[in-house]
Amino acid sequence: MTETTHKREKDLIRYFIIIYWSLFWLLNVVDKIIGGAHLFFVGRDRFAQVERFFDSIGLENPIYANIALVITASLEIFALVFFLGALYHLITKNDGANRSWFLVGICFTLATFTFFSIGDQVFGDHFELLEHGLFWFIALLSWVVYTSIDRIPFPSQVSITTKQRNVFLAVTILLATVTSASIFYHNHTSFIQRTQAVAVEQVTEDTYKIEFPFLAGSKAFENSLEKFLGENPTLQIDNIYTAPKPLRLGKSDGLIIYIQVTAKK
Amino acid sequence: MKERKLFQYFILTHWLFFAGTTLLDKLIPDVYPLWVGADFYTLFVKLFASLGMTNPILATAALSAVSIVEAASFVCFLLSLTLLIKSKKKSAEQWFSRGILLSLVLFSFFSIGDQVFGDRFTLLEHGIFWCILLVSWLVFLYFGNTDNHKIGLAPPRVLRTTIIAGIVLTVITSISLFQFSSNTWHTKNTSVAGVKISDSMYKFDFPFLGDKYTLENTLKNFKEDHPELRVNYIYTGPSELNTKKKTHMLLYIFTEKVKQ
Repeated sequence: MTETTHKREKDLIRYFIIIYWSLFWLLNVVDKIIGGAHLFFVGRDRFAQVERFFDSIGLENPIYANIALVITASLEIFALVFFLGALYHLITKNDGANRSWFLVGICFTLATFTFFSIGDQVFGDHFELLEHGLFWFIALLSWVVYTSIDRIPFPSQVSITTKQRNVFLAVTILLATVTSASIFYHNHTSFIQRTQAVAVEQVTEDTYKIEFPFLAGSKAFENSLEKFLGENPTLQIDNIYTAPKPLRLGKSDGLIIYIQVTAKK
Repeated sequence: MKERKLFQYFILTHWLFFAGTTLLDKLIPDVYPLWVGADFYTLFVKLFASLGMTNPILATAALSAVSIVEAASFVCFLLSLTLLIKSKKKSAEQWFSRGILLSLVLFSFFSIGDQVFGDRFTLLEHGIFWCILLVSWLVFLYFGNTDNHKIGLAPPRVLRTTIIAGIVLTVITSISLFQFSSNTWHTKNTSVAGVKISDSMYKFDFPFLGDKYTLENTLKNFKEDHPELRVNYIYTGPSELNTKKKTHMLLYIFTEKVKQ
């Protein structure tokens, strides 16, 4: 394979890296601009999350959360615009400039995640600390790959034979057809479970069990209880116990609830 | 500034703050104004108790040993940053390596503990941090050794446009953030309106800002609106019933009629 082809492959990896980080920050910024859950975009209610964090350290006034969010947003926006600049220079084949612009984008990214990590320690959220530590690492590694790709020897490509191509296409089409048919059939038979009332099983004289399917949402829960109360007008719900995860069978059990009832007075 | 030095600053700053805040978390063992942190003392006491070692001296000694190593690694990173600022490159690299080595020892120790105490999630967490430390060290010491690439953000026209675009976007986002905050702030304390599901059952869909005070206000208002009802039971809808990330918390109230 010629050097030109390898240059194209290496540039393709650079495109993937820049586009990944551009989209990453673009969607984060959009999430902040939109705010709240809307049609076609749920995102994350960052204001609620950050406000609760500040409230937990005794700073209830929303101004603290707002300022923290503005600082975060500005770091994210500048990371985004510099990645977009790097993309522009990569498209225009300006190698030296695209490296510098990408570098500034990565620096903003690293600064953002370091800033988040400090916050995670202050607010005591170690899961988020792990998440932000990982993203910091991914950003660092992205930079290493982006700048070292020219030094990585790419293997020479061997052309695909007609037989290999046909086998690949036949097996892929067959597997895709079978899988898609199975998915559509499952949708056809199971979507009703999302809202449908579930059968109640009596466990003891005054205890009943409901095993919900995985698809069941709040409507299924409400419909099940409504149906149960309708069928048992002499009973009233005294208590509902949600079976905790250790009592469920691995991943095969969904939500299980036990209803404790008493006779209506 | 050279790329390599810039990255050394970023890596060093990250680990310096990481070690510093971790150490601070041990110095401030409880929840205080401006600091929540993680309660490592309780965690250690429970972990040792699970092994049958209920005497708190063991957990205290272990936590103390951990904090000694954390303090040492923090000082190593601090010295390294000071020396890097003073352009004493070799010494800065040596102190950084010492800091990393101590942190690696610490995370190896944590990983052994995780296996002993059977905490697989924390084992994953510590394993990931161990790996990040190792790669950080490699990048700090060896990456860009042969590169002499200088940072250049020419042409100035594109740089100017980028900075203006960044500022405009920041202003738009800030306005949107402040608007969203002022539009939703009231939901923090306002009671939630219930939806009647059946004669004796009501549903409350809590907003993301909702907390214990929202619940208390909701219950007070519900009692005022329904003096004929008595709350029998409150049930928190489990997360399995939520529409993924769109729902914060569902609460169900079961009632019965008060006898006149």
